[in-house]
Amino acid sequence: MKQRVLLIEPDGMLASLYGEALREHGYTVVVAKTAEQGVAAADAHRPDIVVLELQMARHNGVEFLYEFRSYTEWQDIPIIVLTSLPEHDLSKYALLPKPLEITAVLKKSETSTALLAQEVAAALEARRR
Amino acid sequence: LKQQHGQPNQTDEERLFLSLSEQLRHVFLLITRFAERAGSMPPEVQTAQWQAVRDVSESAMFLTEAYAESGKLQHRLTSPEIEPVTVSALLYDAAERLRPLARQYDVELALDEVPRLTPVMSDRYILQAALTSLGQVFVLAQAEAENHMPLMFAAHRTRYGIVAGVYTEDSELTAEAFRKGRMLYGRSSQPLGKLVSGPATGVFVADALLQSISAKLHLARYHGRVGLGVTLPICDQLQLV
Repeated sequence: MKQRVLLIEPDGMLASLYGEALREHGYTVVVAKTAEQGVAAADAHRPDIVVLELQMARHNGVEFLYEFRSYTEWQDIPIIVLTSLPEHDLSKYALLPKPLEITAVLKKSETSTALLAQEVAAALEARRR
Repeated sequence: LKQQHGQPNQTDEERLFLSLSEQLRHVFLLITRFAERAGSMPPEVQTAQWQAVRDVSESAMFLTEAYAESGKLQHRLTSPEIEPVTVSALLYDAAERLRPLARQYDVELALDEVPRLTPVMSDRYILQAALTSLGQVFVLAQAEAENHMPLMFAAHRTRYGIVAGVYTEDSELTAEAFRKGRMLYGRSSQPLGKLVSGPATGVFVADALLQSISAKLHLARYHGRVGLGVTLPICDQLQLV
């Protein structure tokens, strides 16, 4: 069975580009544009991993993170942050304590679509072990 | 006063430049990621994506031009050309210019049936550039919303003059949020987080352009919608014509 990636990305064009790359690598991709949609999609599709943009209008990615991790059954699901936030804003997210823990923090400007697929594979593999 | 609400020693001009560079970074990101993927897309998808990248790039180019114009005005390398201006025609032009971008993001643009309004004395280009830059932010905000509400370009008369603005039914924007946005501008990567996730450069470019004609953006309401607009004083002499 294909593993499911929940991609929370407000920009539809970027979501489509990253999403297609992940599909090519054999994943089922569910896209959400907002934090609220993300929680609903997680509930409906039970993802194996979440790729999250922190920078969203209204309820931002950090709020999603708190809500998502508040459910015990989702606490061990890897979350990869893929964001446009500038470098100096990122360091505070890299070392969040459990259960908020993030698997990896990636900058969009440095993360090709292929690299994201590799990171997703690595995070899922680490979880499987 | 200029340094009160930003990083130390950061001027409004520097804040605007940083905000613009953030916005352009996003466009370059789209182009780069598209270039990576283009080869593996089916031809029909590739054509659609090319069109999308073109529309987004054109919109960013317009914003860059508007930004450059605001800089020239601020440094008095150019000056406003004041003449009688029909606001409804400007709103039409702004809406038309944004239509390709709106189509990409599936956002409906509407132009209110503006009643015959007295022309205002203003600079045609500055007003049009300000309204287009502003509209761009609203298009991007709607693009991120769960349900896309139509955007409305409208002008109406108040006791203070003619208010030209962009409105939506779906916004958490309030006067307080807008005031805070101005305060956070330069400090936060999302100064107007109630409106859009990005740097909202268009709002601040519009602000800078309007400043050169002694006008200012403000929260505005129109037929139950909320938005941002500018009040343009009516020229008494034109009113008599």
